Amino acid sequence: MVGASEESRLNCLEIQVDNGGGGAWEYLCLVRKLKARRSDKVLKHGLSILNDHRARSKLGGEEWTLYEQVAIAAMDCQRVDIAKDCIAELRKQFPGSMRVGRLEGMLLEVKGAWPEAEKAYQRLLEDNPLDQVIHKRKVAMAKAQGNASVVVEYLRKYLEIFMADHDAWRELAEIYVSLQMYKQAAFCYEELILCQPLVPPYHLAYAEVLYTMGGLENLQTAKMYYASTINLTGGKNTRALYGVCLCIAAINQLSKGRNKEEESSELQTLAAESLVKDYKLRAPVKLPLLTAALRNVKLVS
Amino acid sequence: MAEDLVLDTAIRDWVLIPLSVVMVLIGVLRYFVGKLMRSSQTADEKIVKEGQLIIRARNLRAAANFIPAKSFRLRKAYYTNEENGLLHVPKGQATNPQAQMFSDPNMAMDMMKKNLSMIIPQTLTFAWVNFFFSGFVAAKIPFPLTQRFRAMLQNGIDLSTVDVSYVSSRSWYFLNLFGLRGLFSLILGDENAMDDTQRMMQMGGFGMDPTKSLSAEKDSMEIIQHEWALPKMGQRAEEVLRKFVKQ
Repeated sequence: MVGASEESRLNCLEIQVDNGGGGAWEYLCLVRKLKARRSDKVLKHGLSILNDHRARSKLGGEEWTLYEQVAIAAMDCQRVDIAKDCIAELRKQFPGSMRVGRLEGMLLEVKGAWPEAEKAYQRLLEDNPLDQVIHKRKVAMAKAQGNASVVVEYLRKYLEIFMADHDAWRELAEIYVSLQMYKQAAFCYEELILCQPLVPPYHLAYAEVLYTMGGLENLQTAKMYYASTINLTGGKNTRALYGVCLCIAAINQLSKGRNKEEESSELQTLAAESLVKDYKLRAPVKLPLLTAALRNVKLVS
Repeated sequence: MAEDLVLDTAIRDWVLIPLSVVMVLIGVLRYFVGKLMRSSQTADEKIVKEGQLIIRARNLRAAANFIPAKSFRLRKAYYTNEENGLLHVPKGQATNPQAQMFSDPNMAMDMMKKNLSMIIPQTLTFAWVNFFFSGFVAAKIPFPLTQRFRAMLQNGIDLSTVDVSYVSSRSWYFLNLFGLRGLFSLILGDENAMDDTQRMMQMGGFGMDPTKSLSAEKDSMEIIQHEWALPKMGQRAEEVLRKFVKQ
């Protein structure tokens, strides 16, 4: 993840480079370090370095890293011709390299030659069955083809070995949600919460999955996770505020018949008030919509 | 007080400087030889999996209070049950690293290569220094030192009357052997510099048993209590919101 200060530095450098102020190499290094995806800029500035003999030879061994970076950026921008040249150059330099093999597989992917790419990755995996990047490429490829069940299969196989990889868990959770397999998705979000217990988006997503599943117990749990999201974000997350309101409304509706005492509505009214305040501040035009919605769930009279 | 010894400039030109240069050259040479001999490490699937498993179990232990009790019990059973729990190591299957080393010739080979690149040049240079330069007083440190440093600085000359600030050639060799790390990190790049003290420490750390850490993890997993932290969150969220509304 990119921190705010790093992002502003990156933007600063980008403007400088765009206006011809130099520092292209520093910019490219920073992009690489932050794993930012600014392919068009990387392609433009990287290519200008690669085409300039003097600038290129100044890089020394780093030249090949730049080739790789530009190749990936070019593929991202659908400039297959440039990517092809870069990869050919790399192949000449590193004949038996796994990393270049990966790039070649990606090139096949860009062309849409799925079976060939699959075969290429399979070959690479035979040499080194524990290459995380190639496993992830295969997942991405299945996703690009819209093959959700295959994605799930690959991800599960991957997670069986690399079970501490939280990005993979997140991907799997999102796929499960899109397949409406909420129970499995909930498991994945639990895993994510375990990995990083204080990241609010995971709490929020978990609460949403639980709310979607419904049922009194799940709704109550969902309410708590919405509350913890509010807690972690300092009440600034609109989605969580809505979530609390909806959860409590749903719980009241469910428990009405069973003669239970009403939920403590302190949290609920507070959430509604915060929502109203937030809307007044940031989107006064939409305030009537909000009050109408809240009236629907009987939070404001 | 003993009279100051005057060191011949020839000693500087023919002992001190050659010794230092040779030590640096040997360090560089060893780095490249080691690079040549290093076999690409292909990690074993089982070992990678065990490492990841331990991270995941540790995460569970650390953040157990953030998931509902039901989910926690589910996971605990998954990790620790006696039949096929992930952390459960069946008795007798625990491999000890010694046996593994004998069964896997690659591992023994790696060890040998590491040892070769470390011990052989060291013995050779030590023998060389001993043969040619034994008994020289090679340098003088520009400040006085206490008697305790005699063993460190005057290895190889057994004279108690010589002032401690004189350094014998063999001691100079040792100082170079252990103290050139900074120079190597300049020459070879930061990560590549590895002086001998570090290498020796690495040798000591060899042979830890992954199955042991698995069963330790299992034990600590079994004793943790689950106390769900979320119910408290409701109240805290109320406080947060109250503050937010008042602002």
